[in-house]
Amino acid sequence: MAEERSEKREDAGEAESRSLLRLLVETKSVMPAAGATGLPLVLVIAAMCFLASLALGAALSVGGATADWTRDLSGALTVEVKPARDKNIDTQVETAIKVLTGAEGVLSVHALTVADTQALLEPWLGKGNVTEDLPLPRLIDVRIDARAPPDIAALAKRLSDAVPGAELDTHRQWQAELVRAAHAAEWLAYAVLAVVAATTIAIVTFATRAGLSANREVVEVLHLIGARDRFVAAEIQRHFLHLGLRGGAIGLALSVAAFLALGWQGNAASMFLVPMSGLRLQYYPALVAVPLVAALVAVVTARLTVIRTLHRML
Amino acid sequence: MFSPSHVPNPGFHDTVPSMIRFENVGMRYGMGPEVLRDVSFHLAPGSLHFLTGPSGAGKTSLLKLMFLAQRPSRGLITMFDRDIATLPRAELPDIRRRVGVVFQEFRLIDHLTTYENIALPLKIQGRAEESYRADVKELLSWVGLGERMQAKPPTLSGGEKQRAAIARAVVAQPDLLLADEPTGNVDPEMGKRLLRLFIELNRLGTSVLIATHDHALVEQARAPELVLQNGRLTVRG
Repeated sequence: MAEERSEKREDAGEAESRSLLRLLVETKSVMPAAGATGLPLVLVIAAMCFLASLALGAALSVGGATADWTRDLSGALTVEVKPARDKNIDTQVETAIKVLTGAEGVLSVHALTVADTQALLEPWLGKGNVTEDLPLPRLIDVRIDARAPPDIAALAKRLSDAVPGAELDTHRQWQAELVRAAHAAEWLAYAVLAVVAATTIAIVTFATRAGLSANREVVEVLHLIGARDRFVAAEIQRHFLHLGLRGGAIGLALSVAAFLALGWQGNAASMFLVPMSGLRLQYYPALVAVPLVAALVAVVTARLTVIRTLHRML
Repeated sequence: MFSPSHVPNPGFHDTVPSMIRFENVGMRYGMGPEVLRDVSFHLAPGSLHFLTGPSGAGKTSLLKLMFLAQRPSRGLITMFDRDIATLPRAELPDIRRRVGVVFQEFRLIDHLTTYENIALPLKIQGRAEESYRADVKELLSWVGLGERMQAKPPTLSGGEKQRAAIARAVVAQPDLLLADEPTGNVDPEMGKRLLRLFIELNRLGTSVLIATHDHALVEQARAPELVLQNGRLTVRG
């Protein structure tokens, strides 16, 4: 019946969709498909693919965010001018701006006003609690050309010579710590991915062995009528290809739904230090690789397990 | 056609073509007693033999050695001029494909239809279904299973299973056909019909060895008989 149906489809000229369908709908195998390794295994692979997609999405997001921060921060410097008793801070700021504006590699210089500085402190001190006579350092935001940066050490020296008490903050330390933390998070996500992959291999190995042992009689008959190991392996790995793809498709759908839900929740959700408004669009194609890799892992594992097990038989 | 045991003739190997040759073969299961002892014989191409003996005499064990389900504990077995003891595992399928086997317990695959079961030896050879579909259907009709093509083995009667098992054994036109009690579950009429099939195959060049309890069958065919008794083999006829 299945053959008749597929023939009809061929006549309809839907060969492409048919071959796609074939990957998901198992054709009849010499080895019984059901039994120990049917629906439960599809669900396990679906769960594994879901976790793998989440881990991969998180790793890609953190990696992307780290790259963005590095790019942003390496294009910026901050100059802090500390107030001194005997000097007018506005004059000092102006002097600093002059030094900075003339320097090579500096794109723009923008001094924060007293009001700006107070606004920065508001979250910590509360509105209106910053008194006029509180000696506040003044900040100058400097944008530099990241591709042709100025000589930072020379610039810092010139600055401190011209304006005593002025400090050049390259954000380097903050940036390094942030990047280190983000890298750790990224590697953690990749480690989760590796553990998920290893678990999947173990499960497929176990299921293949269980399937082989449940079908021992069939395998023996196949051997006795002249089947080679690769025929038996092909029959079993076809079964696992379908299981892997079906499970993978379910897992992928769940993870895409999860990322979309994160996006829908907005910035409230965060993952691994990264405020996430869902997964960036460019990372979705990478998630599609997850079920494909899962199916490949299932097929290769099943094949190796079958060949290894059969080698112990006559 | 048949050479009795103890034939230490030096030139023997070169002069008589043989399909299967056993020389002083012994076999035991694990650490158990020997179920076959000093078995020596050879089957020539195109021969027809019966294998008889009481239950437990070792008939099935002898057949197992011939369809490569077991290796001998000692002695020499050559099949199609290949030494079975030294044959690499990867080359066993080539030999097995030249041997058709009717198992005593049929060993059909339960979840495949009768048609698929019978076509299996051709499928595993990698042949396309279009190339054998008609032949398989014809064979099915010949053994009286034309109407049961889509039935699965659990729904077949004992006799039908037996005929399906025979059809599977002969479908790939093997050089050697081994049948373990092939008429045990069929009525005398069908028994005769199956024997005619074996004889017909034999005429077409297949060597046939039939293990049986059925003396009527042996007398009908008037073929030489290998008699197993307590693990030892003698010849009659």
